[in-house]
Amino acid sequence: MDIIGMELPYYTYIVRWILMLLAMYILIRNVKSLLTTRVTPEVWAYLNINEEESLPITHWENVIGRSRSVDLRLKYKTVSKNHGLLLRNKDGSWKYEDLSSTNGTKINHSEVKPREYVNLNIGDKLEIGGVMCTLFPISLEEKNNNEAMRGMDKGPISPWRILIAISIFQLLTVIQLIISLGNSFDPMIAVSIFGLMLIMWAYVMGFRMMGSRGFELELIAFFLSTISLAVVSSSAPGMVFKQFIAICLGLMVLIIMCLYLRSLTRSKITRWLLVFGSVGILITNLVFGTLKYGAVNWLEIGGVSFQPSELVKVAFVWIGAVTLDELYKKKNLNLFMLFSGFCLVCLAIMGDFGTASIYFVTYLIISFLRSGDFSKFTLTMGGAVLLAVMVVRFKPYIANRFSAWRHVWEYADSLGYQQTRTMTATANGGLAGLGAGNGMLKNVAAADTDLVFGMVTEEWGIVIAVLMVLCIITFLLFSTMSIVAGRSTFYSIIACGATTILIFQTILNVFGALDLLPLTGVTFPFVSNGGTSMLTSWAMLAFIKATDMRNNASLAIRHRSSGMATYGEEVN
Amino acid sequence: MRKLEKRALICVVLAMVLFVGLFYYVFQLALKGESWATFEGNMLIYNEGQLNRGKIYDRDGLLLVECNENGVIFNEDSNIRKALAHTTGDLYGNISTGILKSNVDKLVGYSFINGIFTIDDKGEDVYLTLDAEACKVAYEALGSHNGTVGVYNYKTGEILCLVNKPASDPVSLSDGEGSYFNTFFQGTVIPGSTFKVVTSIAAIENLDDIDGFSYECSGGDEIKCTYSHGVVNFEEALAKSCNGAFGEITNELGPGIMEEYVAKLGLTDSYMIEGIKTKKGEFVFSENKTELAWSGIGQGMDRINPCSMMMLMGAIANDGESIEPYYISNNNLLNSNADSLGQIIDKKTAARIEAMLKNNVVVTYGEKNYENLDIYAKSGTAEIDGQSVPNGLFTGYIKNENHPYAFFVYVEKGGSGNQSAGVVAKKVLYSLIN
Repeated sequence: MDIIGMELPYYTYIVRWILMLLAMYILIRNVKSLLTTRVTPEVWAYLNINEEESLPITHWENVIGRSRSVDLRLKYKTVSKNHGLLLRNKDGSWKYEDLSSTNGTKINHSEVKPREYVNLNIGDKLEIGGVMCTLFPISLEEKNNNEAMRGMDKGPISPWRILIAISIFQLLTVIQLIISLGNSFDPMIAVSIFGLMLIMWAYVMGFRMMGSRGFELELIAFFLSTISLAVVSSSAPGMVFKQFIAICLGLMVLIIMCLYLRSLTRSKITRWLLVFGSVGILITNLVFGTLKYGAVNWLEIGGVSFQPSELVKVAFVWIGAVTLDELYKKKNLNLFMLFSGFCLVCLAIMGDFGTASIYFVTYLIISFLRSGDFSKFTLTMGGAVLLAVMVVRFKPYIANRFSAWRHVWEYADSLGYQQTRTMTATANGGLAGLGAGNGMLKNVAAADTDLVFGMVTEEWGIVIAVLMVLCIITFLLFSTMSIVAGRSTFYSIIACGATTILIFQTILNVFGALDLLPLTGVTFPFVSNGGTSMLTSWAMLAFIKATDMRNNASLAIRHRSSGMATYGEEVN
Repeated sequence: MRKLEKRALICVVLAMVLFVGLFYYVFQLALKGESWATFEGNMLIYNEGQLNRGKIYDRDGLLLVECNENGVIFNEDSNIRKALAHTTGDLYGNISTGILKSNVDKLVGYSFINGIFTIDDKGEDVYLTLDAEACKVAYEALGSHNGTVGVYNYKTGEILCLVNKPASDPVSLSDGEGSYFNTFFQGTVIPGSTFKVVTSIAAIENLDDIDGFSYECSGGDEIKCTYSHGVVNFEEALAKSCNGAFGEITNELGPGIMEEYVAKLGLTDSYMIEGIKTKKGEFVFSENKTELAWSGIGQGMDRINPCSMMMLMGAIANDGESIEPYYISNNNLLNSNADSLGQIIDKKTAARIEAMLKNNVVVTYGEKNYENLDIYAKSGTAEIDGQSVPNGLFTGYIKNENHPYAFFVYVEKGGSGNQSAGVVAKKVLYSLIN
């Protein structure tokens, strides 16, 4: 036993560097793959102009017009800047809508009424401000060509090596935890981490067999979940199995949502359901909610307690997403604005200002994506800042909560207790950390939730902690980069909304713990201890997967075995 | 869709905010990590307010302080504890210059790369350049007097002896006043006649006819001498410490040159020594001839920092080049060279003032009194208003291949500098050489 005792410190000494290198390998490879993809957009049809040139139609929703920012550009003076919309139906046929253009549109020589859908058949003569256009189908040969082009795109990386790396990481982590936790090591820790290893392999192998090729997003999520289990093992060993169950549920939610999101029509209709559901659940929360950590944002049903406001985040993004034609409808924002207002009022009553600010920022971003109205964006933001200043001014007890902000070292043993310990923990860890279970921050309240970034820096090192944040940033960049090849604005808005939530949540969590912002008690996606938060994180991942247009990459997009997908069938 | 592409830039801006904030934080960590890690709220390195890792040894490997899970344990010899209290720090964190307070990062072994990780959680061994035995000798030699003693190697910068009195036993709470204060680094004293070395250096470099200087001392009118020195030249004026003569020399130099020289010789600088900021000396050179004369002989408003005076002596010994002192041994082999602060005195001037310092010993202090020491020095006796016994000072250096040491000794109410501070210096130097 003594011999083991002598050797143990050397295990941590060496393995913490190995873990750091493994994490770098896992995360950098995934991130690099996601950020270097250049997707050749799928071509759905061609628009022939004056029998001279043919524009490939690469989206399900297209704006036709003279402006630089439209999808199908006609450089004729008679064409309005945003002249009309060309939309693909569920069954693969097309329809046209005139956006109250100056010179109007004719189909087969008859005038089209503005702001009304008109079916457009292949070969129909479409006169846009006097410019003669014809819709051409894509021939099988062209289609095969396009598929071949898409086949030459840089595909997703193979998941196997990364899976092996994560598995080694998990094994070494369990051993490290056995060493550092000693007698307080709970066998459920091993069960949970090895369980995660198992479902990770099962998921990738299963969907790989069914033809999916892109797993970078999930692999990052699996890695972050591993860190989450290790963090919970260290600070609250009794809760680790619960966290594992949350990951399993999260993965199930991801799969179900990915399959569900394949159909645009279905996804659009669901919004109404979600509005009613969210309103219901938030009201239930207000009536029956329980107070925890200073906010009435918990609900207990059948012995399981959860945070409704976390779940509603998912619905919130979903409800905010719209297709291109909805974007051009007048007052298209009203319903969403109303719903956002309702959510914010509910959160304010609950006293959950951290989550309220997440909703608000997400509302701002989504409404800007929808309207493109920058002055309104700044005005709303300015108004909110003013309101916040007024609240702090006239309600001194709220201001008191922030009095330590940027001065935490002066309040090291009172209001700044958590932040100063977090900074100390970060310094303790150095680049590679002290080893899982060896930190001191785990003894501080909310270490595995609000301060989780600090716990990771202490036990895993600043390198892994920074990489975690870079992964969240990658989610966002990937979503915005995918818009180029996007099918519908619905998917692009939903992905940008989801990543906005993830990013802003990370900002509040990390900056709060480190005193760059006031500590608001918000979780770090995928890493913080908490079932609802974990579930929500995986749901957000489904939204990102819905924009992954790489050839046969994403579970959320039906795979098209080349040549077999027939024209006229919904790609769902 | 293309419109959305552009609008989505707003999301990228949000991501940028996160990225910039994160970068800023890592930057802060690199900058302040040391103080964050050594914060007393760090439960890994503090048990109930007591540091739990790290050891402090003197230059010969004598264990001075050991921190472990049972607390902070000091050396058994109470005089060694007291002599080194200002360097090691105390149990209660009252001595701000103590290693236990201001250099915890070294005991813990903090680095940006490893954080506080060590294999055995025992922290690091910190070796001082100080000789604990010599410090004890200095402490005991001060006897009932307060004062400060510093000795350093003017070629390498290693401080060998560093003692401040009053000092309280670091294991018990202090009773006396001022015992937490590190006068050597953080205090200033009236230099008395030791300041004439500064005036002499200015005179050598600025007064062309200094070789022909002559002054008839009658015991002084406004600027008093202890007795009538008769006719003295420049060398004799320093050896006999003739106030009248130096008053005249100072007035020939004028306030501008005096100000220039206290700055040039590093006396108005603050040095960073093991994280401790030394206090700057303060000098007022008036246009009024009498007041200026007082300043030129180290009385009046002059206040000198002991460490800076020791460094000036070291520079004279080292052909004019000043070496920055330190007392925590640097085991980094790549960076073992002495940190030079540059040539602060011209080589020729250094040689000339060295000869004069030797002459002081030969003529006034008596070489026999410093047997076996090739010593160069200047004494000082600082008169304090309302204090019957003046403070004694003695500063200088010895030339010895293996022991190139410069020293500064200050004995409060010690009386004559040579007889009080000189004796302390002698005892410490003997202890160090043998």
